[in-house]
Amino acid sequence: MKHAMRKRGTSVVRVALLFCAVAAVIPRPASAQDLAQFEKRLTKFTLDNGLTFLVLERHDAPVVSFHTYADVGAVDEVRGITGLAHLFEHMAFKGTKTIGTKDYEAETVAMAKMDEIFLELKAERRKGEGADEARLEQLQSELQEAQEEAQKYLVHDEYEEVFSREGSAGFNAYTSQDATQYIVSLPSNKVELWMVMESDRFANPVLREFYKEREVVMEERRLSVESQPVGRLLEEFMAVAYKAHPYGDGIVGHMSDIATLTRAEAEKFFEQYYSPSNLTIAVVGDVDPDQVKALATRYFGRIPSRPKPDPVETVEPPQLGERRVVVDDPAQPFVLIGYHKPDIHHPDDAVFDAITDIVGMGRTSRLYKSLVKEKRIAVAASGFQGMPGTKYPNLFLFYAVPARGRTNEECEEAIDVEIERLKSEVVTPEELAKAKTRARASLIRQLDSNSGLAAQLTFYEVVTGDWRNLFKQLDKIEKVTAEDIQRVANEYFTTKNRSVGIIRTTGAGA
Amino acid sequence: MTRHKPWIIRIVLFAALGLGLMWVGCAEQAVRDYQGLKYPKLRDIELPEVEQVTLANGMRLFLLEDHELPLVNMSVRIRTGSIHEPAEKIGLASITGMVMRTGGTTSKTGDELDEELESIAASVETGIGLNSGSASMSVLKRDVDTGLAILADVLMNPAFREDKIQLAKMQHRSSIARRNDFVGAIAGREFDKLIYGPESVYARHTEYATIDNISRDDLVAFHKKFFGPNNMMLAVWGDFDTKEMVEKIEQAFEGWPKVDLQLPETPDVQYEFRKTVNVIHKDDVNQSNIYLGHIGGLRSDPDYFALIVMNRILGGAFTSRLFRNVRSREGLAYSVFGIYSANYDYPGEFYVGCQTKSESTVKAIRAMLREVEKMKESEVTDEELALAKDSFLNSFVFNFDTTGEIVNRLVVYEYFGYPVDFLLKIKQNVEKVTKEDVLRVARKHLKPDQVQILAVGRPDDFDEPLSILGQVNEIDITIPTPIQQ
Repeated sequence: MKHAMRKRGTSVVRVALLFCAVAAVIPRPASAQDLAQFEKRLTKFTLDNGLTFLVLERHDAPVVSFHTYADVGAVDEVRGITGLAHLFEHMAFKGTKTIGTKDYEAETVAMAKMDEIFLELKAERRKGEGADEARLEQLQSELQEAQEEAQKYLVHDEYEEVFSREGSAGFNAYTSQDATQYIVSLPSNKVELWMVMESDRFANPVLREFYKEREVVMEERRLSVESQPVGRLLEEFMAVAYKAHPYGDGIVGHMSDIATLTRAEAEKFFEQYYSPSNLTIAVVGDVDPDQVKALATRYFGRIPSRPKPDPVETVEPPQLGERRVVVDDPAQPFVLIGYHKPDIHHPDDAVFDAITDIVGMGRTSRLYKSLVKEKRIAVAASGFQGMPGTKYPNLFLFYAVPARGRTNEECEEAIDVEIERLKSEVVTPEELAKAKTRARASLIRQLDSNSGLAAQLTFYEVVTGDWRNLFKQLDKIEKVTAEDIQRVANEYFTTKNRSVGIIRTTGAGA
Repeated sequence: MTRHKPWIIRIVLFAALGLGLMWVGCAEQAVRDYQGLKYPKLRDIELPEVEQVTLANGMRLFLLEDHELPLVNMSVRIRTGSIHEPAEKIGLASITGMVMRTGGTTSKTGDELDEELESIAASVETGIGLNSGSASMSVLKRDVDTGLAILADVLMNPAFREDKIQLAKMQHRSSIARRNDFVGAIAGREFDKLIYGPESVYARHTEYATIDNISRDDLVAFHKKFFGPNNMMLAVWGDFDTKEMVEKIEQAFEGWPKVDLQLPETPDVQYEFRKTVNVIHKDDVNQSNIYLGHIGGLRSDPDYFALIVMNRILGGAFTSRLFRNVRSREGLAYSVFGIYSANYDYPGEFYVGCQTKSESTVKAIRAMLREVEKMKESEVTDEELALAKDSFLNSFVFNFDTTGEIVNRLVVYEYFGYPVDFLLKIKQNVEKVTKEDVLRVARKHLKPDQVQILAVGRPDDFDEPLSILGQVNEIDITIPTPIQQ
């Protein structure tokens, strides 16, 4: 995420839920009449360069939400440049050839100088013990000077200021394993402003203040991973669950990669992954689709088309046995159990949605009932599919937050009991009916916000190939049977197919 | 509403589109810069009328119909709060709020309520916070009778079953055990104690001993004292008919006795400005969590409007001075914030803070303090003032984009005794704020030489010893051992 404001009093349960919310990006779905309703109000068009727009009219309030879904995420990085997708997201707020600069020509020269010095610095550092200290110092100060030179041409934060001045709300961006998403809402008379700004961002991006922003991202890594017990555990756990597929590397990247990324690498990444054909944009609110189309053609149509990038071809090989990782940590215990499962395109995807509801959602879910209400060994326990993404085969993740004085082992055992129950007996008709009812209601509740709808529409359009699946997903859940659930549990929830990660408490807290 | 345009308009639009294409085709650089844009006038916001009704039993209702989706939502506010619980029973209000719902009612257990609600994808929740109690209900339209009946039952007839009291206590004890695991939570909690005092109702927190002191009788008494129709406001929005809904609500709460409204006063805050430097050791992090500041103010203060503008310039928005200088220019932090906060009924805090690597802790403190000092030294620029005001005023429309926020805002104003049109007053007054006003309120309310500084992290790795800023007070956050298991 780009902007983090202050967050207070984060309880462990909230952290657990948050991490669940971050991970379970799969929205859950209403019905045929809703779809028909929406088809009347939705206009889809694709520009000649391949960029697709979804425009949904909602005229209740004079506001509009924009959602740009770039089909590129941390999963597209190779080892050595981890963190680049996320760093690029930060750089996308730094302006363009005309926004954020007093003199683009002069600034280009200054930035090139910085890049050059940084490469020399990198080469010297690579010598390790043999590096020339005096030379390192010299290069550092040269880099500093070059940076100051480049800063002379800056118009600080101009890109953000323009949106802010014109009344933006929720201006932000976020990077996940599967995607990078840029969002903003505006009063509905500012559609053209967004067109100018967003098209320029992807037509003429300038990665200025690159080396400073790397430091900001390093602080973000310290904040979200290195100084958080669950962050530390998750990073270790994912690395154990995946040995080949890039889902195993964290989104923010490894510290040494962030520290050595170059502007040239970021520019290359942009060229490769931010082609218009790899972008899908939803516009939801008080707009006229004809006007949106005219403006989109004018402003986004100028971006030259480039080939759509290849997807990740690495396939995670089957596990040969259970994997375990223990993090020794002063924090209280925490347990994660993940099972490999297929991607969102697989016919069993809806079955995993039903399992998510039955084991993991609400006070009547099996895990909450058993671990929290009955045994009182945990303060939170749940399970969900889609960790850490849905585009590629991912994990079904169970977790528990042990109660004070209770252990990971007790919780793990209690989760195992529930997993075995899924395998040995069929779920009750009431449980299945509840899962289906809640899927329908949940979709209806999601139709209430412009920004939420824009996110859903782009997700289904890009990941499943058709925005209508937002609604059709319901039909698939409707067809799930109790036998399907038992079959899927037996097929995937096997010891050999799982990874377990725990926090083992050290020191005074133990 | 779908748009069916007459064919003439369509032709005009197509013509415009065609021209646009040609224009782009001829000259690429003809794409206009944002500065040249002319915006059409934003259409007027049609403010829906919130229906206000007071029932015979004293309950205040706020109703707003919205027929877009087949949903009905309710939210309840009750005058109570943890500020009214005794010091030896901290946690009482919170546990009462939890167990009202989880412990079920005289006719149904909490588990039965869970099943009934979740099978229809509905929710009813209750809770008690610092200075108010709340309840909520969300149902599909067809289930509104079931949802309302449960909401009323939970508010009027909670059974406080012992098993769920034990569960709530277990959850509270577990939070105590985990409260030092998250560095951000430590910093926020301990900063509150520095500002309001560790014993203050606005900063104190649970301990094992205070949880152990709480009994079922306490919960019953706490509920009885505050929960009654004349001490409650209920907002409802969604797909219903107002007249019918008023009758339904009246029936659902029939026979509920009123409570004595002679409630305890909201406790005062006595603050003495002082400079302190405080450190908390947290060895498993490589980043310092920093807060610095002093007491803040009230929204009823006439300076509130100029302070809104000052906040935006100092640190409220991501175009702020703190964001620009500490994050973008120095690369010292991912998250940096600063605000002179104002509450409705007790003073807020003025605080500035960030998270920065241990090795730049003192540098970041200095950089942030410098920004606070600058607010007092000279007027902000015309551009800063214009940006702060424009961004506030231009985004004003987002205060009205959902029915839920419109009706709930009225309830909040009513609850804290603010005028119903307070939001409009804010707008009118922000429009009038000048550079002189911003400087005047900064000089009056900010005291950078008398801030309390708190750093949580690894002092051994700090760039300079904290003592360079003043005498360092070390705060011990060891959790007091429980008396009983």
